[in-house]
Amino acid sequence: MSILEYNGGAVVAMVGKNCVAIASDLRYGVQAQTVACNFPKVHKMSDRLFVGLSGLATDIQTLEQLLRFRLNLYKLREERDIKPETFSALLSHILYEKRFGPYFVEPLVAGLRAEDNTPFISGMDLIGAPVFAKDFVVAGTCAANLYGLCESFFKPDLEPEQLFEVLSQSLLASVDRDALSGWGAVVHVITPDGVTSRTLKARQD
Amino acid sequence: MHGESGKQSLRGALKEDVPGFNFDNYARNASLPTETTMHLPSAMKTGTTIAGVTFKDGVVLGADTRATGGTEVADKNCEKIHYLAPNIYCCGAGTAADTEKTTEIISSQLDLLRLSTGSPSRVVTACTMLKRMLFRYQGHVSAALVLGGVDSSGAHLYQIYPHGSTDKNPYVTMGSGSLAAMSVFETGFKEDMTEAEAIELVKEAILAGIYNDLGSGSNVDLTIIRKNGEVTVLRGYLTPNDVEPLRTSYKRPAALSVPAGATAVLSTHMDPARPGLEGLVIEDATAMTF
Amino acid sequence: MGLKPGEVATGTTIMAVEFDGGVVLGADSRTSTGTYVANRVSDKLTALHHHIYCCRSGSAADTQALADYVRYFLASHAIDLGRTPAVYTAAKLMSTLIYRNKDNLLAGVIIGGWDPKDGGQVYTVTLGGTLQRQKFSIGGSGSTYIYGHVDEAFKENMTREECQNFVKKAISHAMARDGSSGGVIRMVTIDKTGVSREFIPGDKLPYGP
Repeated sequence: MSILEYNGGAVVAMVGKNCVAIASDLRYGVQAQTVACNFPKVHKMSDRLFVGLSGLATDIQTLEQLLRFRLNLYKLREERDIKPETFSALLSHILYEKRFGPYFVEPLVAGLRAEDNTPFISGMDLIGAPVFAKDFVVAGTCAANLYGLCESFFKPDLEPEQLFEVLSQSLLASVDRDALSGWGAVVHVITPDGVTSRTLKARQD
Repeated sequence: MHGESGKQSLRGALKEDVPGFNFDNYARNASLPTETTMHLPSAMKTGTTIAGVTFKDGVVLGADTRATGGTEVADKNCEKIHYLAPNIYCCGAGTAADTEKTTEIISSQLDLLRLSTGSPSRVVTACTMLKRMLFRYQGHVSAALVLGGVDSSGAHLYQIYPHGSTDKNPYVTMGSGSLAAMSVFETGFKEDMTEAEAIELVKEAILAGIYNDLGSGSNVDLTIIRKNGEVTVLRGYLTPNDVEPLRTSYKRPAALSVPAGATAVLSTHMDPARPGLEGLVIEDATAMTF
Repeated sequence: MGLKPGEVATGTTIMAVEFDGGVVLGADSRTSTGTYVANRVSDKLTALHHHIYCCRSGSAADTQALADYVRYFLASHAIDLGRTPAVYTAAKLMSTLIYRNKDNLLAGVIIGGWDPKDGGQVYTVTLGGTLQRQKFSIGGSGSTYIYGHVDEAFKENMTREECQNFVKKAISHAMARDGSSGGVIRMVTIDKTGVSREFIPGDKLPYGP
């Protein structure tokens, strides 16, 4: 078993028309033993920017705190919100700096650009090699399942409500075929009007 | 230096001014339970076919667009032809993060060098900077590069191996698809080709990689750098494996269209946008709420 | 230190021979990664100074880096000196670098050149950094196949042409038997008149009776 699979978890982000959604499961486990069901892996970085972190739980927490710290400093220095592209590059550099002693984390970034409300998503491997996709990015112990579901369910230019359904069903179906993730899910849909966060009813087995 | 003083300054805590890699996690990672480190996570690789040829009026660089994580296709359309300078580009194969960051670092160093010398970058300079950096890391920075460009002394094409050795040739290939691509070059290469002939040859070489090498796939990207200083970046020059037309034309079964309300929701919370407050709200770092 | 996985090696045939008034260096042109020929027209004869060259064998990255360092130090040394440096200086510099870093290097180098004091000279630097002047020297994986031939055919004080033919023939035979050697022959001749380069295409090798 890889250390990335030690605690389990699934994260996925998907773009829609002037909206973007990012979701994760809620399980926190130690290998096969489920310890808690209130461990969201998606974190709000600013009003229109979220980061999803899957992998080793201790590194998820360390990195989340480090990112929040760096982001607050950015705001103090720049007096503006960070662009999703810039945040993605910052995260990539933080990870690559630890090229030879990495955080065991695979992050996703989802945000809405302030200028024109166009969506931005990106994914990364544990040493910060970015993937800029036009449709969706996935990470976690059931990444393969998520790829399959998203490839089937995804359609371009979905409205926020449709996007929520497509993303939720892709995530729920994926985690149900993965022993290491599931036990609840949380979905954030980012639109120009604000962020709608929903917790989903999911299987508890 | 890392953590050298007990009382940390903000700058020290940020570690913003510390150059080079950071090994803080190295001892922690080495002491993880052995059953979890038996299969250490593999970084994303670019299985890759990259190639380049020189022709009468410059160089043509080519690359496929597949990135893999293990056997999984991690990116179907990644960019492997990196910008180094206005007159120099570089294709990268190997560990995706390494090729990305290595070319980024050298590009910025070339930028500074141009500002201090006031003259355009030379291809041999880029080559030397790259080989020195890779040699210093003794192959641990896994970047195999095809470097091409033009300068005052003409058009040049180099290949650079991860351990820091370099070759200068009229046509070169790198990556897991390099054998397939080289077979195309060895049959089709002519000296002093026209631009159209060179583009055709590189396209065929990359296609040979895309179809015959499992590590390579998706699209053909090309970049043409001409001796007169003109550069053409042809991102997605050929897209024989694009799924977009299929996705739009395909009539989906009803089951694949999720109806509204299909997902059972336990709770909903709406955070309305706060126009005018952008950049002014400092989040509570201790908030670990759910 | 052995070759690291995926590292490029100049699995090579190289040689350098003193003749009456100068020196001839020769090499095949094959560079391989495992069984794949990474470069079939490589140039393993690298200039260290105007009248001093070296033949590289072992790790391509290591020997290129070494040659770069020696070339750099020698250029600076020549300025301090106000004249061109001796061949021995280049060889000693190379051997010192290899000896001090032998745990991290895989490099077998032959240095050949001409200077006014000692004329044409050949020096061998082994993997461990030993420096030895020789009347002629062969190196690389292909050299094992031709020890008998060169011991038999070598003569002291050959003419320039005799020496060039000797090098051509020896390397041709090594290339024929050694899988890691091949391609074309590159030759450099250095004497008081200067440096000249020869190129022998793969289909014009003096191999066979």
